Amino acid sequence: MGVRTCKKLLRLWGVYAYLDFMFMTRDLRFFLHCFFSDAVLNLAAVSGTFLLAERFAGLGGWSQPQVVFLLGYGMLVGGLINTFFGFNVLYISRRLGRGQLDHTLIQPQPLWLSLLTEGFTPISGSAILLPASGLLLWAGATLGLGSAARWWALFVLQALSSAAIALSFSFLWGSLAFWAPRAAEEISSSALRLVYQLKPFPLDGSGPLLMGGLLSLLPVGFVAWYPCRFLLGIALSPWDGAATPLAAFFFALLASWAFTRGKKHYERTGSSRYLSFGHRS
Amino acid sequence: MNAPAPPGTSASDIAVDARGLCKCFYQRQRSEKLSEVFANLLRPRVRLVEALRQVDLQVRRGEIVAYAGPNGAGKSTTVKLLCGILAPDAGRVRVLGLDPIADRVRYVGRIGVVFGQRTELWWDHPVAASFEWKRVVWEIPRPRYERLLGRVRELLGLDEFFHSLTRELSLGQRMRADLGLALVHEPEILFLDEPTIGVDVLAKRHILEFIMQLNRERRVTVMLTSHDMDELEQLAGRIALIDRGRIAFDGDFDQLRRRFADRRRLRLQTRAGEAPVLQGAQLLGSEGGWHEYTFDAARTQIAGLLAQASARSEILDVETHRAPLDEVIADIYQQWRQ
Repeated sequence: MGVRTCKKLLRLWGVYAYLDFMFMTRDLRFFLHCFFSDAVLNLAAVSGTFLLAERFAGLGGWSQPQVVFLLGYGMLVGGLINTFFGFNVLYISRRLGRGQLDHTLIQPQPLWLSLLTEGFTPISGSAILLPASGLLLWAGATLGLGSAARWWALFVLQALSSAAIALSFSFLWGSLAFWAPRAAEEISSSALRLVYQLKPFPLDGSGPLLMGGLLSLLPVGFVAWYPCRFLLGIALSPWDGAATPLAAFFFALLASWAFTRGKKHYERTGSSRYLSFGHRS
Repeated sequence: MNAPAPPGTSASDIAVDARGLCKCFYQRQRSEKLSEVFANLLRPRVRLVEALRQVDLQVRRGEIVAYAGPNGAGKSTTVKLLCGILAPDAGRVRVLGLDPIADRVRYVGRIGVVFGQRTELWWDHPVAASFEWKRVVWEIPRPRYERLLGRVRELLGLDEFFHSLTRELSLGQRMRADLGLALVHEPEILFLDEPTIGVDVLAKRHILEFIMQLNRERRVTVMLTSHDMDELEQLAGRIALIDRGRIAFDGDFDQLRRRFADRRRLRLQTRAGEAPVLQGAQLLGSEGGWHEYTFDAARTQIAGLLAQASARSEILDVETHRAPLDEVIADIYQQWRQ
């Protein structure tokens, strides 16, 4: 990526941040409702795990602060994805199913650049980041984490990798909408719902078959549990630190392959009304 | 029939060069009979829809071309192919010397597109925000952008709603804003797919005048689809008619009238209340002593009709004019269907 592309990337993020800011600030009551309801909903979504950990003084061999760290990490990953890939870029099948890719294709920039920037919603998407940071800071302070710069670097690498895996998983399934736009319009949200529902649980103690599945076919283990084991020092081998970034690379390649194939198909069929299970008009 | 490029036209004078374009879609067929539902599950019945069949189309730089045809004739498919949204099954497309699919990024920066049934404006934002977004995505230098924006705002009358939310605009306002947005990067060619659909007469006049001015001053090539034939005739010097995926006519509007019958109207005011019967003309109706006829001027001389009329009745007044183009086109579509 050259200097010119980097500059354009920053300018695009800037303009999308401006649009998001304008959208959220058109009405103060609307802004407060959106922001706080999002934060409360996300806290409520992980409260079950927290209450279990509280009741049983830990969960799956993890202490309470470790569980809180896991919850905070999972929320942070969700918040990063929402912040950078909002506006239905994350739920790519909706865009494909609704025939909205045409709008992106008539913009004079590579498709990847459009998809990387169009969903940047730092105001509306970041409501989860605040409670996530709070949980992480409390757990980190209690567990004595984060004193070394190396740990923080590894934390950032793991979090970005986890976000990349969730995003790739959404794109991998979402690409089906190129072939069955109407039928698969909601497939990205269904795929992510599976990931998000299982994300706040320590998976230790699962059998090898289930564990293998949760780290491959449904890579929910990489979205919070596996990287947290490494960051909390529960992992046995330092190689465990490489697993999530490697998995992210693999899933990104797979998603990129599926999306490219789908796009080729789209060039042939377009958003035509003649497609079986075709696009909405 | 395709209008050949005039002698001496160089390759650089050609803005759109499409040759042998073919595009097919497959349409599933369902039976209402229960007995056929299960058979359909195993062996779905599929109908081949040939949206484009060997379409050849050349448009010169600075030309305004109307592209018309009945519903489902292949107009929007052609526009999508020319915009780089869709690839042809066979044939070759070059617009401004570029392949719309292979050179997409470079290409779309030089064209403007308006789909009348969609909007490129940001729905939940003021119109102004969409223009600012366009400036960044299209990388328009600030001074040039300010100059063009000022011009577009003035000519299309955007000021009155420039700071209103797109979702709150009327259809006419939205279309004007969409057109302005498509033009603010100074495209060399403009594809307009039904740009005045649902728009009132005044807003339509604004839009058409603006397109003509743009073409006159900056020689912007315009390719326009619409079902409003009067609008097309007002705007374009040339019309390409497509029917069932083939270009059925390509020429100017006078040629079109001559080729598909030079339909005229004759109105006679007679002293007697009853309309005289005229051979070679068809009576459309009578009202207040006026009788209106339609006839094909290529076959029937108007002098002969007047002679017939004056022999049968006392003529008080005469009016004659060409039939509206819509009527001519409706006849053509009817002929094609038959």
